[in-house]
Amino acid sequence: MSQVPLAAYPVGSRRTRLTFVSGSALVLVALMLSSWAYIAFGQSWPSHGFFSGETATRGWSFLRDLGGHGREGTPAYLDGGAWAEAGRLALTTLAMSVLAAGIAALGALLTFMFAARNVMLGELAPYRSPVWSAWFGIVRLAYALSRAVPELIWAMLLVFIFSPGILPGALALAIHNFGILGKLSAEVVEGLDMRPARALRTSGAGRLQVIVYAILPAALPRFITYLFYRWEVIIRTTLVVGLVAAGGLGMEFRLALSHFHYTSVTLLLAWYLLLVLGVDLASAAMRRLAR
Amino acid sequence: MGTEAPAEVGRTRTIESRRAITLILLGAFALSLFGVNWSDGVFRPRGLGAVGETLGAMFRPDLSPDLLGVAAAAAWQTAAYAVAGLTVALLIGIPLGVIASGTIARSRVGAVTQIGMTRAVLAFFRAIHELVWALLFVAALGLSPMAAVLALGIPYGGILGRIYAELLQDVPPAPLDALRRSGASEWRVFLFGRLPMALPDMLSYTFYRLECGIRSAAVLGWVGLGGLGFQVQIALEDLAYARVWTFLWVLVVMVVLVDLWSSQVRRRIVP
Repeated sequence: MSQVPLAAYPVGSRRTRLTFVSGSALVLVALMLSSWAYIAFGQSWPSHGFFSGETATRGWSFLRDLGGHGREGTPAYLDGGAWAEAGRLALTTLAMSVLAAGIAALGALLTFMFAARNVMLGELAPYRSPVWSAWFGIVRLAYALSRAVPELIWAMLLVFIFSPGILPGALALAIHNFGILGKLSAEVVEGLDMRPARALRTSGAGRLQVIVYAILPAALPRFITYLFYRWEVIIRTTLVVGLVAAGGLGMEFRLALSHFHYTSVTLLLAWYLLLVLGVDLASAAMRRLAR
Repeated sequence: MGTEAPAEVGRTRTIESRRAITLILLGAFALSLFGVNWSDGVFRPRGLGAVGETLGAMFRPDLSPDLLGVAAAAAWQTAAYAVAGLTVALLIGIPLGVIASGTIARSRVGAVTQIGMTRAVLAFFRAIHELVWALLFVAALGLSPMAAVLALGIPYGGILGRIYAELLQDVPPAPLDALRRSGASEWRVFLFGRLPMALPDMLSYTFYRLECGIRSAAVLGWVGLGGLGFQVQIALEDLAYARVWTFLWVLVVMVVLVDLWSSQVRRRIVP
């Protein structure tokens, strides 16, 4: 951004300058308008029929289906056996989320130091070498690639490799969150107060000692906090990777929807919401403990 | 920290809670390993071959002009869903966020009820993943681009609303008091004090969600709503890994570009 001389603007005038930020906001508004134009007119599907009474009727009848309207027998969400069965799936789903968070955390813990600019290239690097720089670039690239591809797409690729179950789903979640956790943790290290590290360095500590005694203790609490935040996102996404990876609630949810077993859909959604709520509460408690 | 003793107690407590967290984390991870069915073999019969094929295709995607044209169209469709979904999210997030901040309530009781009720609604919106919303909308209303837009807009609205509410609450109180003392009504305090002070952070967070929205919109294609995710799925059904990676690289490039744009904007808004 070039500095504009103040004299170019008469004092007291409310003329707005086009800055990068206001320009970006304008671009965003333009994108919104063109996106809506595309959705309304640019597609083969009719979307103008969406805003009609028919949509309301269909929505209402779907809600009544979820409630079990006009069906014989007890709805699944009032059946104790069905609750227990879905509860077992919910437990598997919970295991999938913990496994995913654990693998992602291990991967990120082993690599995030290599992705911190100040440790690899900046003032904490004892010397600059092309090998370290290349390693820094490779780790950063791996983070970017793994988090740019969504969990579901990783799961779609992994089901060709692993037998169905919670493992491919957990790995798909882990790969995506590895990139996110790694990037966030590297940024934490880059934003740390460097004075303790510098003090250790000037008193003769080597790079490994600086990392173990000055950087890790300062960065780990933030890492733990981020890990729990990610766990909250992971539990919401377990259902989604389960749709293709056949683990936990996701596959049952998909089957129930495609077989029109709407009362089972209600039951599975109830367990899903319970899981999300439980994990949110547990994560909040753990984050308080970590503070 | 007046004397030595309380600081010492605080430190042992920190060490104890750190030990507790380490134990809980390791224990939970170990337990989760029992959830995996190890006995029947982890890999598919020809699974390991698929690793080679998948990774090999990563470096030689299909770059024929026809396919790149398809990819460009799919990328635009994904971006359009993301941006339109973000509009819906703003329509949900701004009003609900303002109410959930409790800052425009007239009385204390009113504030507590407003905060409680809107927070519950926002929590429900964001508890359900966008793809699950999409499945439900498609089941209820049929395949329509609006299903994708709403599926994205509802959970994102829940997130935006919660963050906006927190940002509006966290505004420093001194300037607001100054406005009140000079006779401004609560509405004016909100409009000319609270909102302008929280706006940069709100805008910054919105740009961050745009970045997430592109990724989410790509996934919505899986339900049959078109876009990059849908193309990846078709290519995978043909086991055409080279085509899969064409679309994945287009997605990666698009996400990285939006990421760069949004981080540049955010760096300038909130240094």
